[in-house]
Amino acid sequence: MTNGRVLEATELKKSFGDIHAVRGVTFHIGVGETYGLLGPNGAGKTTSISMVSGLLQRDGGEVLLDGQSMTTTTLAPKQEIGLVPQDLAIYPDLTARENLRFFGHLYSMPKAELSKRIDEVLEVVGLSDRANDRSSEYSGGMKRRLNIGIGLLHRPKLLVLDEPTVGVDPQSRNAILESVEHLSSEGMAVLYTTHYMEEAERLCDRVGIIDQGEIKAEGTRRELIELIGQRDRIRITATGVNDATLADLRGLGGVDNVSPTDGSLDMLVSDAGAALPEAMRVLAAHGSGVSSVTVEEPDLEAVFLHLTGKALRD
Amino acid sequence: MRHAWTIAKNDLALRARDRSIFIIGLAAPLALAFIFNLVFGAGISDVGETITFDVGVANLDGGPIGEAFAGVLDSIASGGLLNVTVFDSADAARTAADEGDVGASFILPAGLSDSILGGADATIEVVGNIDAPTTTQVASSIADQFGLGVRTANLSVATAMATGVLSPQDAIAAAGETGTAPAAIEIGTVEAATRQIDSATYFVAGLSIFFLFFIAGMAVTSMLEERREGTLMRLLAAPINRKSITFGKSIASVLIGLVSMTVLVVTSTLIMGAEWGAPIGVALLVAGAVLAVVALMTFAGAFAKTAEQAGNLQSIVAVTMGMLGGTFFPITQEGFLGKLSLMTPNAWFMRGLGELAGGGISAALPAFFVLVGIAAVAGTIGLYITGKMLKP
Repeated sequence: MTNGRVLEATELKKSFGDIHAVRGVTFHIGVGETYGLLGPNGAGKTTSISMVSGLLQRDGGEVLLDGQSMTTTTLAPKQEIGLVPQDLAIYPDLTARENLRFFGHLYSMPKAELSKRIDEVLEVVGLSDRANDRSSEYSGGMKRRLNIGIGLLHRPKLLVLDEPTVGVDPQSRNAILESVEHLSSEGMAVLYTTHYMEEAERLCDRVGIIDQGEIKAEGTRRELIELIGQRDRIRITATGVNDATLADLRGLGGVDNVSPTDGSLDMLVSDAGAALPEAMRVLAAHGSGVSSVTVEEPDLEAVFLHLTGKALRD
Repeated sequence: MRHAWTIAKNDLALRARDRSIFIIGLAAPLALAFIFNLVFGAGISDVGETITFDVGVANLDGGPIGEAFAGVLDSIASGGLLNVTVFDSADAARTAADEGDVGASFILPAGLSDSILGGADATIEVVGNIDAPTTTQVASSIADQFGLGVRTANLSVATAMATGVLSPQDAIAAAGETGTAPAAIEIGTVEAATRQIDSATYFVAGLSIFFLFFIAGMAVTSMLEERREGTLMRLLAAPINRKSITFGKSIASVLIGLVSMTVLVVTSTLIMGAEWGAPIGVALLVAGAVLAVVALMTFAGAFAKTAEQAGNLQSIVAVTMGMLGGTFFPITQEGFLGKLSLMTPNAWFMRGLGELAGGGISAALPAFFVLVGIAAVAGTIGLYITGKMLKP
C-alpha cells in the first residue's frame, strides 16, 4: 500500500477509434474510503473502471492497486480487487452457492475458507435462505445482490461497483445501498460509479464528477458545493425575534446573511449542519419560540449542472 | 492449468444442468446408433467382409464362349461377390430381374460362340432391376470385361489363324481361357478400392466424426455466450491467465467429444455388430479425431462475433469437411479431390480405421499422428485468435 491509498489511477486514457472515451482521468482511493464517479451515461465511468480492474488495456496512464501496477495480464493486483459489473454476471443455471464456489476457486481460495466465506457472503447479501436455488429463479434484486456477493467473496481490498442499482426496484436498491454502507463501515475501499446523485451523496466520502471522459471536479460533497459558491439555506419560523437576536445570529461563524420575512428567518450559511445548532442556541438564549425549521442544501445535481452545463440525466 | 480445469468443470456442470451434455453426449449418439441400425439393418455382419450381389444367368449358347462366361461367373461367385442363379430361358432370367428375385440377369443368346468365332458381332444382354443399380453396374462391368477379353483374344486368334500358327480348335480353347482370367481380377476392385473396413462400419464411423464437429463447436460458442451473459467479464477480472479460459473450454469440449464418440463406438458395436477394430487403435484414432475436430472448430469459430455466427460458421465447416472427407460417400484417394480430402480429419480418421483393420495398431499410427498434427496447428492458431476475442 502507498500512503494509505488502495488505488491510485493517474492520467488514464482510452480511445476507441476516433472516440476518446477517457482523457486523462486521475483519482485515488484510501483505505475504507468510498469514492464515487458521478456522471451521465457515456461519461467514461465504465471505461475508467474497466482499466482500473484490468479488463481493458489502457492507452496511457497508470493504475496502482495496493502499490502494484495493474494491467490486463498482471495477476497479483487482480486478487485485490472485487468487480461488480453493471450487467448481471452470474450463471443462471447454477445456485448462488455454486456461483460463489466457482468464482472462489478462480481466486484460489482454500476449500475450507471458501465454504465459510460463502456462508458469510450469503448472509451479507441476504441470500442464505435461497442459497441452493438456481439463480434463474431469483428476483431481479436478488440477482443483483448475488452479483455483488461474488465481487466481495474473496475479501478484496477494493470493491468496484459499476452502477449496481440500475433497473432495480426501490426496495432492492435500498438493500444494495445498505450493503455498500456496511462494507464501507468494515473498512473496505469502494469505487462506486453512478449517475444517481442521491446515491453518490449518501454513500461516497468523495466524489469525482466525470463528463466526456474527464473528471471536472473532485472532493467531498461539501467541497464540491463550495466550489461553485452556493450556500445552504436555513428557514426558521420563530416568535420574539428582535434586532439583538438578528445581530447575534449574524455574528455566528459561517453565516453569510440573515433576513427576517413574515415571521420567519432566512439564513444563508456555508454549512447548515454546523450553523443550525448554534442558531437554535442563540434563539433560545433570546427567548424566541421556534415552531419550524427547514434546511435547503444545494446538491451535486446543481454542481454537475454548474460544471457541465447539463443535467445528470441528459 | 488448475484454473483451466476449474473452468472446464464449470462448463461441464453448466452443460449437465441445462441437459445439453446428456443430449449431445448420450442421447444423440444413441439416437444416431439407432438410426444407423435402421439404415444398415440388423444383418450388418452378413454384409461385413464382402458384399454379395444376386445375379441370374440364362446361358443359351452351349458353345465355348458360353462355357467360358459360366466359368467367369463361377470364379467370381467362389470369391463370395456373386450369388448366381441359373435360368433355363431368357424370359425366366428377365422376369427374375424385373421382379427383384435377382439384381441383374445375364442372357447369353444361342449361337453366341458361333457368331463370335465366325467374326460377327454378338451381345451378352444384361437385364437389371431398377431398384438394384449397383448390382446392375457390377453385372455390366463383368459383361464388358468379358467382352473386352474375348475381342482381344479374337483379334489374336484371327491373326494366328491367318498366318497358320493356330488351328481352329486351338483358337476356340484360347478364346475361352483369355475370357476367364482378367475379369475376376478387375471385378475385385469394385468393392475395395477406397475402403478397407466394412461398408456399414465405414458409414457409422463417417457419420460419427461428422456428428463430432457439432459437439466440438461448443468451446467457442460457450465463450461467446459467456460474453453475452456478462460472465466473461468476471473471468477476465479474475487473477487467472487468460489462456486458461480458452483452454478450459476446449478441455470441456474434448471431454464431451470423447464421451459421445465412445458411446457411439460401443453402441454401434454392441447393437449393430460394427467392427471398428482393435480397441487401443480405435481409442487412439478417436482421441486424435476429437482433438483435431475441437481444434478446427475453435479455429473456425474464432472468426465469429456472436454465438449464432459461430454456430453457422462451424456448420459450414462441418458439412464441407464431411463431404471432402468422405463422410457421406467414399472419396477417391487420387487426383486433386483426393489431395483435398487429406486435409480433413474425417479422411484421416477413416483411413486410420481402414489401416487398423488391415494392418493393426502400428499401421494406424500415421493417421493418428496426422490427426494430432492437425490438432496442434489448428489449435494453436485457433487459441491465438480466440485469445484476441477475450474482451469484456
